[in-house]
Amino acid sequence: MRSRPNARELLDIAEKTLSAEVMPDISERQRYNLALVASAIGIAKRELAGGVFAWEHELDILRALYGDDVMEQPETMLVRLNRQLADELRAGVYDEKNTEQETVLNLLFQDVVARLNEDNPTYERVKTLSN
Amino acid sequence: MALASFIRDAAGADKVTIEDGNLLHGGAIQENRLLTVTISGGELFGTQEIVLRSEATARIPESRPLDQQFAILKVAEAAGVTVPKPLWYCGDSAIIGKPFYLMKHLEGDALGNRITRVGEQPHLAATLGQELARIHSIKPPQKDLEFLETISSSPAIDAIEKYRSYLDELPEPHPVLEWTLRWLENQSSDARDIVLCHRDFRTGNYMVHEGALTGVLDWEFAGWGDPHEDVAWFCARCWRFSAPKLEAGGIAAREVFYNAYELASGRKLEKEQITYWETMAHARWAVIALQQSMRHRSNEEPGLELALIGRRLAELEFECLRLTGVTK
Repeated sequence: MRSRPNARELLDIAEKTLSAEVMPDISERQRYNLALVASAIGIAKRELAGGVFAWEHELDILRALYGDDVMEQPETMLVRLNRQLADELRAGVYDEKNTEQETVLNLLFQDVVARLNEDNPTYERVKTLSN
Repeated sequence: MALASFIRDAAGADKVTIEDGNLLHGGAIQENRLLTVTISGGELFGTQEIVLRSEATARIPESRPLDQQFAILKVAEAAGVTVPKPLWYCGDSAIIGKPFYLMKHLEGDALGNRITRVGEQPHLAATLGQELARIHSIKPPQKDLEFLETISSSPAIDAIEKYRSYLDELPEPHPVLEWTLRWLENQSSDARDIVLCHRDFRTGNYMVHEGALTGVLDWEFAGWGDPHEDVAWFCARCWRFSAPKLEAGGIAAREVFYNAYELASGRKLEKEQITYWETMAHARWAVIALQQSMRHRSNEEPGLELALIGRRLAELEFECLRLTGVTK
């Protein structure tokens, strides 16, 4: 059994120490670097909270789309199938408005939202384009 | 000191002394160092604050070499654009170990977060609209800009091909960007006008002192293109910093910027083209962000700032999907 505190708990307290104790006590240039460190810790924390493999649903959809006859690690398969999808998007396979296009665009949207929640959860989604 | 001798000869001075100042902030690709230079004799006599610009250790493919940047800066200055006065270019690596150029230092601040925290600044946005119109008054052919690539298909198709070739060099696939580039390909049209585009005209790349513009910076991406590209880049969501609802660069409403630009350029902006190029803007910044993060990942230039740029991808792709009509 691993000793405690665990990775998340350690990142938590490291983040708190940085922002509450180190931040007020340093030069402006280092403050910028510290903000970057805090941001990196935040992303790492959220990534760890999502589990080792957060893209199971995405893989399910890609497997349904492209078949599932190769024995390989899920991570490798996810990259391979995403590459196939990327190539087909470039070639215009999903140009036409139909159910396949809808499936693929939903997949892209869910993938982006999952990453946004991990990488920048406070990102302000401004809806209108007033031009 | 070799640099002092270079400046002495270039300025036609009798004597030059240099006090080396700080590395200026900003510029993930280029290095800017502030020098205090005291010149005796010649046209520039007196004490001057001068910026020495040189390339950082690693470059990204879109970034122009320094001699070209310097030439563009000179042409922009001659067209009346407010820029840091270009002084001299030096291609001899013996002087400081790599090529560099010198320009006058501008007063003010360029940090996007700081500028956009001030609130609405319609006067500044209008000035920037006029500046952009001046940049776009530079049209081909220009004998001092012969090194600029000519348009082969159309500015949009050329850009799409370039970004696809950049994506092909990356280790992972990027389906959202492929979707976006394909969408852009299907929607593309020919440009009516070809002008000098700055290609990084945005908040964070101009200096402001006491609320007024002191200069347009960072000309390393400039080239021939569609004027809508620069207008859209300035307004794109990814360059509004702390004020995402102020759609012109986080400093004003779009109309203020558009109107000033139209009045100064005599060119009518097409709203559809702005939306089109705004989509391209997010795809382009996403591709550049991926290249930047590769500079860290490949260990060519390890650094936390470059590393974190890789995790900006999702917000850029979110905008790509929104602009291509995918998000609800």
